[in-house]
Amino acid sequence: MSLSFNPIPFDLAAGFAHWLIVMAIVLILSGISLTLMSLAAGGITGPLQVAWHVKDGIADLLGTSPRRVVALTMLTFREAFRRKTLWVFAVFGVLFLFAGWFMSDVTADPALQVKAYVSFVLRTISWLILPVVMLLACWGLPEDIRARSLHTVVTKPVRRHEIVLGRILGFVLIGTFVLSVMGAVGYVWVIRQLPASMQSHLTARVPIYGDIRFVTREGLEKNDEGKYIRDGINVGDESMFRSFVEGNSKARAIWEFKDIHPERLAEPGKLVLESTFQSFRTHKGNMEAGLLCQLTLVNEAKNVRVPLKTFNVKEFHRNVYDVAEMNPVLTDVDGKPANLEKDLLHDGKLRVEAACLSGGQLLGMARPDLFIRLPSRTFAASYFKSIFSIGLMMVTVIVLGVVAGCFVKGPVATLLTAFVVIVGRLSHTFMKELTSGYYRDSNFQMQGRGILDSLIRIPTHLTPGIEMGDGFIYRAIQAIDNVELSGLWAIQHLFPDLRTFDTTEYVANAFDVPWSASLLPSLAVTVGYCIPWIIVGYFSLKIRELEAK
Amino acid sequence: MAGEVVIQTRNLSKIYRDFWGRKKVRALNSLTFDVTKGEVFGLLGPNGSGKTTTLKLLLGLLFPTEGEVNILGKPATDVAKNEKIGYLPEESYLYRFLNAEETLDFYGRLFNMSAEVRKERSRKLIERVGLTHARRRQLKEYSKGMTRRIGLAQALINEPELILLDEPTSGLDPLGSRDMKDMIVKLKEEGKTVVMCSHLLADVQDVCDRIAILDGGELKVLGRVQDLLKDQGVTQIKTSHLSDEVVKEVEAVLTRNGAKLLEVDHPTTNLEELFVKTVRESAARPGQRYIPPTPGNTPAA
Ligand SMILES: Nc1ncnc2c1ncn2[C@@H]1O[C@H](COP(=O)(O)OP(=O)(O)OP(=O)(O)O)[C@@H](O)[C@H]1O
Ligand SMILES: [Mg+2]
Repeated sequence: MSLSFNPIPFDLAAGFAHWLIVMAIVLILSGISLTLMSLAAGGITGPLQVAWHVKDGIADLLGTSPRRVVALTMLTFREAFRRKTLWVFAVFGVLFLFAGWFMSDVTADPALQVKAYVSFVLRTISWLILPVVMLLACWGLPEDIRARSLHTVVTKPVRRHEIVLGRILGFVLIGTFVLSVMGAVGYVWVIRQLPASMQSHLTARVPIYGDIRFVTREGLEKNDEGKYIRDGINVGDESMFRSFVEGNSKARAIWEFKDIHPERLAEPGKLVLESTFQSFRTHKGNMEAGLLCQLTLVNEAKNVRVPLKTFNVKEFHRNVYDVAEMNPVLTDVDGKPANLEKDLLHDGKLRVEAACLSGGQLLGMARPDLFIRLPSRTFAASYFKSIFSIGLMMVTVIVLGVVAGCFVKGPVATLLTAFVVIVGRLSHTFMKELTSGYYRDSNFQMQGRGILDSLIRIPTHLTPGIEMGDGFIYRAIQAIDNVELSGLWAIQHLFPDLRTFDTTEYVANAFDVPWSASLLPSLAVTVGYCIPWIIVGYFSLKIRELEAK
Repeated sequence: MAGEVVIQTRNLSKIYRDFWGRKKVRALNSLTFDVTKGEVFGLLGPNGSGKTTTLKLLLGLLFPTEGEVNILGKPATDVAKNEKIGYLPEESYLYRFLNAEETLDFYGRLFNMSAEVRKERSRKLIERVGLTHARRRQLKEYSKGMTRRIGLAQALINEPELILLDEPTSGLDPLGSRDMKDMIVKLKEEGKTVVMCSHLLADVQDVCDRIAILDGGELKVLGRVQDLLKDQGVTQIKTSHLSDEVVKEVEAVLTRNGAKLLEVDHPTTNLEELFVKTVRESAARPGQRYIPPTPGNTPAA
């Protein structure tokens, strides 16, 4: 019902800085290896040639002609159409003809039904379109080279990057066309498939998330080091997504919300909180009613605390809590009346505390488990935003495929692209752990630093916790390991993190697809990957002979 | 000969290598020649002698293993030179899913031409290569000769100064190859430079000013066609029809002057001439058999 991950707003400036660092490292590494390679191949003139190519590349870039790019784009588009590559439509149509039979009645719960339909449609679309554009993109240029039709093109004043760009844009155009049709068909299918009684569940909730921290059962807010406590009790759930708050104690979870201005709320003064806490019972208790939970609104600056009327947590459901409806009058702990706008909101800031009132039981909470609801958007808006994300992923795959086709033949290009896509989708987290030496569990920080370091530690049975000393040798080892780790770190960034593009969970759970936590990072990943890859494609087309080998 | 040099090659060598960089073929060995502005230059040689390789090196499609190429004052890999070059590949490597108009429009765009210019030029060129009737058909339906023709049109779309033709007459019917040769001569008259390679000697002889003969990647002969073919020991006289008596008299005069009559004959036209005439006649008078003029049968003029 809630998200299984944490939607964190994307910091564009930090992302850009990160990108610059990765690019700088890649540039330096490839600069060094190119110089060495060219020295080996061509002696002293080698590096000169490299420099000449770079200079030429800049000149080519300045000579870009939009008309030529458009011509090549249209050529690619026409080719796909006239070669009847778009039979995938038929597959798509057939799939939907039959899907209706199997999926008619998954469950009586409207929210789950919506979830099933929406994820089916969005997943089908992305799993159909990705292989198709990947094959198109990977085979386009190699086929052009094999048939030598590229010879006639490159003997015109065409810059090589215009060929790469034209191919990419052409495939993007085709992909966009196919995606739009599929998206529209899918949308109509969902709407028509869903019974009238459930249509109201097709919506897009707009949440505002806050930052979460915890208070221990003894009422402590900070740990020994004077920092806020970020985790509650671990009940043995290995995913560790949620932390638990013990009932009938001083334990609480605290959300700090920012930018809450009265005019942003549904109606001025109407505050709606929604929560999806998980229950963990140490004894059976009353199984009919859910665990008892109390929310408290706090303005720390004015020291106003307003405990709200308690509610029973309905697990696996959306617990919508309309503050004004449940509490016609707000009163603070001293019994004085309090006003939401005047007494509680401070500079757009609001603190909400959640405590469990059922003794001996625990409530599990994570950052996205409590949010303030803004007026909902339409389902169509969030659905098509999700389609847009699929489009961005498609663009990334096309760029990878076309660039791979610049230096290897079709089958190899396909394998290469598929490899990058699979790694980018499935094992990005693993690679991150490998290169940063940081394990996801914040309590368990790995100390290993690199290959040389490990080579010494393993035979000498030195545990990672112990420093090796700070002699010259150790510092040398550290320096070498740092170079090689930053290389690995840069390589890890050659694989786009394709999970960014998966917005299915938002739409399926009736959330709006957020701009800053989802669309913006997707755009950033797309642009961030396309630029360097297009440069790679340009140079590989330029320095190779266009003879099929 | 003292014109502006358009193409200059110095010790051009090419070794084809396989994927692993191992030597496969030495296709060209230390080739040096110049082409000057306004001439028609022919590259001759048997199959596999390196003609196509030479053209590709000139165009920067291949990179020389050794040596240098200078074309229109620029290195071969410079894209800007392509603005003034037209190239007809060995087989017309075009996009088979486009029709003739779309093809020319596409290549026109690559030269950054405006829509009106593209339209005007492609109409003219399609007419010039005789494909007006088939201009809306996709190239995959074209016969070999038709593909050759659209290939030539494509090479001329930018009104190039330098035209490189790889076996321009291959696959063309005699009429087409006559047209092609006429076109080459016309291009020369317009002051353009043409480099063509071929192994059809008659074609080369008809149009080329200078030729180079390659064999096994090496330059064997380089010079003016006229100089190369002129046989200084023979004089040829052509007159109108002479009766047998007159021929005898001429023979007597020649013998008196110490010359020897080698051959007296009525000239036969070559097969090409005959073919061209036949087809032209049949176009003028469709549905009729063309009867060539023979001594006993003089057709009505
Ligand atoms: N892509 C290639 N890879 C390897 N060898 C090649 C390649 N292209 C040509 N060759 C070889 O180079 C030599 C010269 O070939 P080229 O095509 O230049 O000959 P050509 O004179 O144009 O012949 P033709 O009259 O048949 O067109 C030949 O031995 C040929 O086998
Ligand atoms: Mg050839």
